[in-house]
Amino acid sequence: MKRIFAFAAAGIVGSAIGAYSAATMSGLLPGDRRTMEGISISGWNGSLDQGSSDASPYVRARIARHGLLAMAKSEAIYFTRATDDAGSPLRETCRYRLSGGPLPAGWWSVTLYDADNFLPDNDDEALSYDASRTGSGRWEAEIAPTRPQEEIGWISSRNAGQFDLTLRLYMPEPGALSDPLDAIEAPSLERLACEGEGQ
Amino acid sequence: MKRWIAPLVFGVVSAGSAHYAVLHFAPSLIMSRAMDLIAQRGAQLHQFQIGQRTTPETQTVVRPSPDLAYSACLYDLSQAPDGLVVTLAATPGYSSLSFFDSDTNNFQTVRGNGQTQQVRLLPPGMASTDDAMTSPTEEGVILTRRLAPSQEEFDAAAAIAAKDSCAPA
Repeated sequence: MKRIFAFAAAGIVGSAIGAYSAATMSGLLPGDRRTMEGISISGWNGSLDQGSSDASPYVRARIARHGLLAMAKSEAIYFTRATDDAGSPLRETCRYRLSGGPLPAGWWSVTLYDADNFLPDNDDEALSYDASRTGSGRWEAEIAPTRPQEEIGWISSRNAGQFDLTLRLYMPEPGALSDPLDAIEAPSLERLACEGEGQ
Repeated sequence: MKRWIAPLVFGVVSAGSAHYAVLHFAPSLIMSRAMDLIAQRGAQLHQFQIGQRTTPETQTVVRPSPDLAYSACLYDLSQAPDGLVVTLAATPGYSSLSFFDSDTNNFQTVRGNGQTQQVRLLPPGMASTDDAMTSPTEEGVILTRRLAPSQEEFDAAAAIAAKDSCAPA
């Protein structure tokens, strides 16, 4: 009897450890915000393996959880960041300046998602910022819960709580795939002020 | 001490098996739930369903892009033994046709390039040809994406998407 109990206990504890470690390592746990891993460029984390059968089991599970139906790298590459340039988590109660230059892709966009990986529940019609609004030079946009006073691009963080951003590069240029660290000048994200703080 | 070795080994094997099972089954389970959700939104088998413009109220899968117009065709090749013929109508601007198997792999993407594109999708086990490709699994989903950052562009994209088709050969 004692021996049966020992086997049962070992099986239960072992299975729990195995399942938990897999969920942790692949970002399946609730609240895990590591949407992509592999390449890190100025605070943006991405992977060139999304949507591919060559992806490791950990990447495939992570993509299924955080970016289901993502396309393979020949068509699109994805980067995510959950912190500002200083490394602080992104919060609805703060205002941020997102800025950058041309990106090596046919078209790109930056979209804001809440902690559940969904668009925040607001009707501001300002869920993303994309290449069609920037021309070919430098650009900047503000991420804030209310529309900025100056004439500038806006991504609304109203009702987003703690959030993150996804940068999509559609039709990436060959250099973005072969040498992403050199080819991609990832946008910077500067915190301007937070509620209760001075400017 | 010796009598604990067998239970310990059993525990380690259980841990490895559970670790593998979670990694192996999680993507297909998540994909299956997403396909059920798409079906609940009215998508019919072997027929493109044009999605509503992506907003906080209409989103069905995680991290949808609000700048794109999507349509989806659920497929089950056990019910289409000769395969499917999938057509992407010509679109000015970005458009693509992407094929996902039930394990979440994007096994093929065809870019519109401003022209009508047609692809034949064959059941697993059939050999691919120059103008036909084989799905790794019997079930899956085909998505079209069209660039549509504004309501006006979305309306135009949806009108074009009505000409897409996904039908048994």
